[in-house]
Amino acid sequence: MKRTALFVILAAGILALPLTAAKLQVVTTYPYIAKLTEHIGGAQVNVHALAGGQWDPHTIMAKPSFIAKLRRADLLIINGAQLEIGWLPPLLSQANNPKVNVGSQGMLDLSRAVKLIDVPDSVSRAHGDIHPDGNPHYYLNPDNMLPLAEAIAAKLERMDPAASQTFVENLAQFKLKWQAKLAEWEKRLAPLSGAWVIEYHKNYDYLLRRYGLQLLGTVELLPGIPPTSKHIQELENKIAGAKVRCILQDVYNPDEASRHLASKHDIPMIKLPHDVGAVREAEGLFSMFDEIVRRLSHE
Amino acid sequence: MKAKRHLLRWFAILLAGGALLPGQDSGGNPFAQSKFVPDISLILDCAYLHRGLDDAAYFNLSLPGFSHAAGNGRAAELGGTNLEQGFNLNYAELSLASVVDPYFDLFAVLHFTEEGVSIEEAYFATRRLPAGLQVKGGRFLSHFGRINGQHDHYWDFASPPLVQSVFFGGNLAELGARLAWVAPLDIFLQLGVEVLQGGNEMSFGRRGFAAGAFSVADVRAPGLVVATAKTSFDLGNLTVLAGLSNAAGRSRQEPGLEGGGAAGAFAGNADVYGADLTLKYLFDSIRYLSFQAEAIGRASHGDRYLEASNESWTRLDERMRQAGMYAQLVGRLNKRLRLGARLDLIWKNIVRLAGDRQALPEDLARYTAMAEWNPTEFSRLRLQYAYDRSRCEEIGGRWERRPFDELALQVNITIGAHGAHAF
Repeated sequence: MKRTALFVILAAGILALPLTAAKLQVVTTYPYIAKLTEHIGGAQVNVHALAGGQWDPHTIMAKPSFIAKLRRADLLIINGAQLEIGWLPPLLSQANNPKVNVGSQGMLDLSRAVKLIDVPDSVSRAHGDIHPDGNPHYYLNPDNMLPLAEAIAAKLERMDPAASQTFVENLAQFKLKWQAKLAEWEKRLAPLSGAWVIEYHKNYDYLLRRYGLQLLGTVELLPGIPPTSKHIQELENKIAGAKVRCILQDVYNPDEASRHLASKHDIPMIKLPHDVGAVREAEGLFSMFDEIVRRLSHE
Repeated sequence: MKAKRHLLRWFAILLAGGALLPGQDSGGNPFAQSKFVPDISLILDCAYLHRGLDDAAYFNLSLPGFSHAAGNGRAAELGGTNLEQGFNLNYAELSLASVVDPYFDLFAVLHFTEEGVSIEEAYFATRRLPAGLQVKGGRFLSHFGRINGQHDHYWDFASPPLVQSVFFGGNLAELGARLAWVAPLDIFLQLGVEVLQGGNEMSFGRRGFAAGAFSVADVRAPGLVVATAKTSFDLGNLTVLAGLSNAAGRSRQEPGLEGGGAAGAFAGNADVYGADLTLKYLFDSIRYLSFQAEAIGRASHGDRYLEASNESWTRLDERMRQAGMYAQLVGRLNKRLRLGARLDLIWKNIVRLAGDRQALPEDLARYTAMAEWNPTEFSRLRLQYAYDRSRCEEIGGRWERRPFDELALQVNITIGAHGAHAF
């Protein structure tokens, strides 16, 4: 009896597989890409983000469960610019899914849609764990969300032509709403133009450049290398000669050094989300930038 | 020997090519191929070792029922690194990897040591098979168990677990082919089957031998089949990974034929079973606590050839049932510091010669602790202490335990391509 029931359940499960597979299965490396894809794909796609927004995007733990997700994906959308190099390649090579391999139609590298800044002239790990293609945190310039959305829409249209009308409409709608928000954020951040800031890691450079903020230095010694007391002393000397508005700290790096600098020099330390889900308020793309703007402008 | 020289020449050509290629401007040379240089990395592993035992005394110890000292001043064939007192150059590992074409990937891992070059791995893997299938072929680390498929520098300790040493002599690395399938499920389920040559000297082995009037033929290759099943799922921030493995094959072992020793030779079949469990809890992006354990058992049956007197050999029916495990706890405290402890234990060591159970010690144990300092993910310093009470000396036909301390300071440095971290 029990065995029959089990068999029926199994058979039903197997029969149900093709039904659920009708929707385009999209896997994204980071949550912000998932949210953006949901805006464009709407009900036509199933989207799953591998990494959580509270984790360090450079060193995501390569869990085997990610392989299971990649195995069933029709489309994999990545940030690119080597942000995933420390964790994604072995997962991909074990997923045995030719649809999403590098070079396949079902793999979209979003970094191709934007212009990267800080491309190093010379590449040496004596300068820390640098990214030879340039700074990979480009999505924190909200302007970039528009070309990213276009790239995703173009890819979805190609992969599911039957639903292309929906994607085109969703894209137009998203762009309209986003442009309105861009105008609002621009207005709210305008007073900050020209202000000096410090950041822990070079996470927010695209955001800073977009709104005219100036970077005095990073708390970490070199990309990926924790601060030394000598480095902190040098940073303090710089702070003495400038009026620093705030210290930007991400949610995943240790914040003791930033805290120390903040209290010693009476500068506010601001925890900025680097991705959707990094802080409670940043539950979607719109709310993430709303929160970034709110925290940055001390509202 | 010829192959070795060939490899060295090939390496020299590669180095020369590498020196020319990266900086070259393709604008000047219409035939430039620098963009096609594969991912190359070199990993240096060396250590300073202090052991509370002279090398000569150490090399004279055995793991009864598993590995017998050859009595010629050489270490028992347990593989592993950090064999001698003082400085050890374990290897300079050259690894090359690249996409071949739309259909294949190629990987090669070569170990350069003071003795020469050995091919740790050199295999291709398919990129486009449908239905979640992948084939790989060449020489590769078997996916048996948890730790066997990883290169030494991914291990959390400077030495392999005792069960890896006694059953596989470090790693089970073989020539052969593997078919793997990943199930289309929400949880990770991977099944694999490997058909291998079966040359592993600790549990299998292919070469026949002559012992007095007895003559045993080579095993007809392929002589070894490995089957694996692995599954993994997440419970919040806890990741669970579990696996079952089996390696079954023919066995030919003749450690006692060359250097003397009481082990004699063995011809028969061996079945090695493994079960592994890993639990990893992430506190945040940086800190984690990881528990990992593997139990491995072996059942073998065949004929033992023993030298009764000079040039006169006897053949006895032999049945062995042996099992052991390791369990380790490793914590990452901050970006640079990791601490770990490991227990190694062989708890079952039953050998019956012609029905008579041999007097072999069980409860062979080793306790290891390590502290790691990682300036970056490309460099690592590891201090490791081990108290080893697994080895014995044969005195007048009886096994006497010879416990000793071991302290190792290991340095592991990587240059070149960024190796991604597997779970």
